[in-house]
Amino acid sequence: MAFFKRFESTIDNGIGRRRFGYIVLGLIILFFLWFPNDSSQSNYAKTVFISGFFYAIMASSWALLAGIAGQFSFGHMAFMGIGAYVAGLIARDGIIFAMLGIAISPESISAIGAIIIGTLIAGLVGLVIGWLLLRLRSAYLALFTIAFSELFRIMMLTEYDYTGGSNGLSLRPLLQIADVDAARQVEYYLMFGLLIVCLLVMHWVANSPIGLFLRAMREDEDAASALGVNVVRYKILIFVFTSMIVGLAGAVFYSDVGSERIIPEQLEVLQMSLIIAYAVIGGMESLVGAAAGAFISRYLLEATREVVIALPFGLTMSDGSGAFVWETGAWRYALFGVIMVFTLRYMRNGLLHPIITWFSGRDLVMQETVSKRKSDDDYDDLLEAGDE
Amino acid sequence: MKRNALFISLIVLLAMTTLLPASLVYADGHCEFADETITIGGLAPLSAPGAVAGGVAMDWAFNQAADDINADCGVEIDGVNYQIDVVTGDSEGSPERGQAVTERLIQEDEVDAMVGVYHSAVGLATMGMLEANQIPTVFSEPWNDNVSANGIREFDGAPPRFEDGIDHIFRISPASSMVGSVVVDWLLSLGVDDVVLIVENTDYGQPAAADEAARFEAAGATVSKIDVELGTEDFVPILSRIQARAEAPDVIRILVTGETSFNLTQQMSELGIAPTEDTICVTNQFAFQSDQYWATVPDGNYCAFNRVGIIPSLFSDAAVELNAKYEEAWGDIIPSFAMASYDAVYILADAMERAGSSSDAAAIVGAIEATDLELSQGRYYFDYGAHNPDLPEDTPAFMWHQWPDPIVTVMQYYEQGQSGLEAAVVYPEVYQTHGTSYIVPGTSP
Repeated sequence: MAFFKRFESTIDNGIGRRRFGYIVLGLIILFFLWFPNDSSQSNYAKTVFISGFFYAIMASSWALLAGIAGQFSFGHMAFMGIGAYVAGLIARDGIIFAMLGIAISPESISAIGAIIIGTLIAGLVGLVIGWLLLRLRSAYLALFTIAFSELFRIMMLTEYDYTGGSNGLSLRPLLQIADVDAARQVEYYLMFGLLIVCLLVMHWVANSPIGLFLRAMREDEDAASALGVNVVRYKILIFVFTSMIVGLAGAVFYSDVGSERIIPEQLEVLQMSLIIAYAVIGGMESLVGAAAGAFISRYLLEATREVVIALPFGLTMSDGSGAFVWETGAWRYALFGVIMVFTLRYMRNGLLHPIITWFSGRDLVMQETVSKRKSDDDYDDLLEAGDE
Repeated sequence: MKRNALFISLIVLLAMTTLLPASLVYADGHCEFADETITIGGLAPLSAPGAVAGGVAMDWAFNQAADDINADCGVEIDGVNYQIDVVTGDSEGSPERGQAVTERLIQEDEVDAMVGVYHSAVGLATMGMLEANQIPTVFSEPWNDNVSANGIREFDGAPPRFEDGIDHIFRISPASSMVGSVVVDWLLSLGVDDVVLIVENTDYGQPAAADEAARFEAAGATVSKIDVELGTEDFVPILSRIQARAEAPDVIRILVTGETSFNLTQQMSELGIAPTEDTICVTNQFAFQSDQYWATVPDGNYCAFNRVGIIPSLFSDAAVELNAKYEEAWGDIIPSFAMASYDAVYILADAMERAGSSSDAAAIVGAIEATDLELSQGRYYFDYGAHNPDLPEDTPAFMWHQWPDPIVTVMQYYEQGQSGLEAAVVYPEVYQTHGTSYIVPGTSP
């Protein structure tokens, strides 16, 4: 503790916490940039990281929508699915604008074109749903988006002639690299780059005047409205924006970057609840916290598939091995549930919140405010004592 | 004399008590194994949202096969015996997870070959990776036609086998198209012309219903279709509609899976709708798991059901032995996909032995193509592959590297609480066990 205090005061008196935070963030980004070049890392490790980046985008965009804007939607996976399914169907079947008499053949649509169209359609559906729904408050959005997610999943499941049903839909591969190792390297950088870009754009939105309006709406919609914030417009705006982000992430990830095909089971409410859990564990009000929470959770869920405990003192198991191997199976999700309960009970802003707050220096501001209030109270007490 | 006899008995007993452990040691230690093992990767759903019960049975079968092969001195290559080790990865029933775990098995566990999978979507998603890494693979449960047809990479163009002449994927489970017509053919042979299909609203139920309806209608039968959601527990409203018909249908065909189908079957029985003298009831292969079936359907509902996999009357000694091991472990009859998963490991082990290598993928693929092996499900062979590349025009593409003989039959219970092993096979005629193609409920064959 004393060491930490010394370290803290060195940082505070030196470069300052915020700058130190930027340095740490830079080092983390450098690590991720270096990671795929480490020859000791297998493609499997890179695949786990790619999956982590995808879920980081999902969780951070949900944090923007729910944690910052206060709109509790359960439709995130559905919008991700819309992006992916539309991209896949368009690349396979092309587009026909019957009213205009225009037909675009699938051959003339590139993977990037399909992804862009998938993203736009996800945004368009978000706009329609937002326009219909966001005049309503709180629980209605949650209930409607659960229903919408299920509706979309069942559609994808039962319209198997078009969507492949539970056998899934294969998207046009975004990259055509024959060498497996090189392909995985590029896929890694692509998904990491997408995460960084999404985080930067979301950070910009969250820290712009729009972000202020969103926070104001989250705290008190009526007050925000009374102060001139067009509540419905900004709700729809952020809903469409996050729908497009996840639509883009889904279309890219399932274009053989992270997975070769999307299946309806991926859109289940259970999967959505995992996204929410990642965001809650990382910190719902922090984009970076939610992203880090998702990445770390995905990594741990993968790393704890099998827990190997080396036996001490030369002890051996009955098969002669020197380690106890626990196949955790579904138990790792139970452990995950325990972490979630702990977080909700004791650290409602997420497990990473104290670290982020420390780096941002916000705890110093809080301490200053508290001590100022305290000293004001003490002064008032003194005055009252004097009066008596 | 008596004393001598006693003395001799004591000597014999003493000899037995000393020689028996010695012989056990011999049985255990009669194989000299190399230090290295042959690693085979297994892929099965071991946690949600996958079909965990199926995945656990497959995992058991993979490991049981490895144990049995090792007990029989493993795989002999160039005079050296190698033990087999199966490492099973959890696909969670998801293509994304399946791909990641397959990559782990290939790269970190350095598997020499692969067996699996339960879900077709996982098979389809992992095929590209298995081909790219040249891993000989025997799939034992996915049914989708495209699993063995062309690698279903819709945007890749030509199937992998046309690029380098080698396709590493084999399948010993039936393709969906092979399962299709058996039940309809049976019912038409019984002369039914008024059919009610109760169908789960999934991509198993809907296409199966469309296929069967088309076959019935082509034969001039009338078909009514009722959709239900999986997980429904109260079917009385639906069944009341059937009960309210002026005439009872000739047959009620249940295209619903799992517990839901059991609930439906039980309620049909309680309401006296089917099976009756007038109405035949046909459910699906889940009914073969008789312990589960009779636990949920206790009222003696003698529905017929289709069965994929070898029928009990054709069980070889190997199948009987395997079933006994499964029953000991799980307390129920072995499902066909567990038998297929067991056989898949054996097919690979046999091919490696004949190829004289556990790592030369091309040689192993060639050896699998030349397989001629009697295992728990029957005789395994592959008609089409690099060894016989010209598929006749009327032969579907999925027959490439496809075992052509998975058995599909219609079976029927005729006594309450009967084991699936004792149920009668009523169709096709060649497999009939009781000389009849239908047992009227309440009668004995």
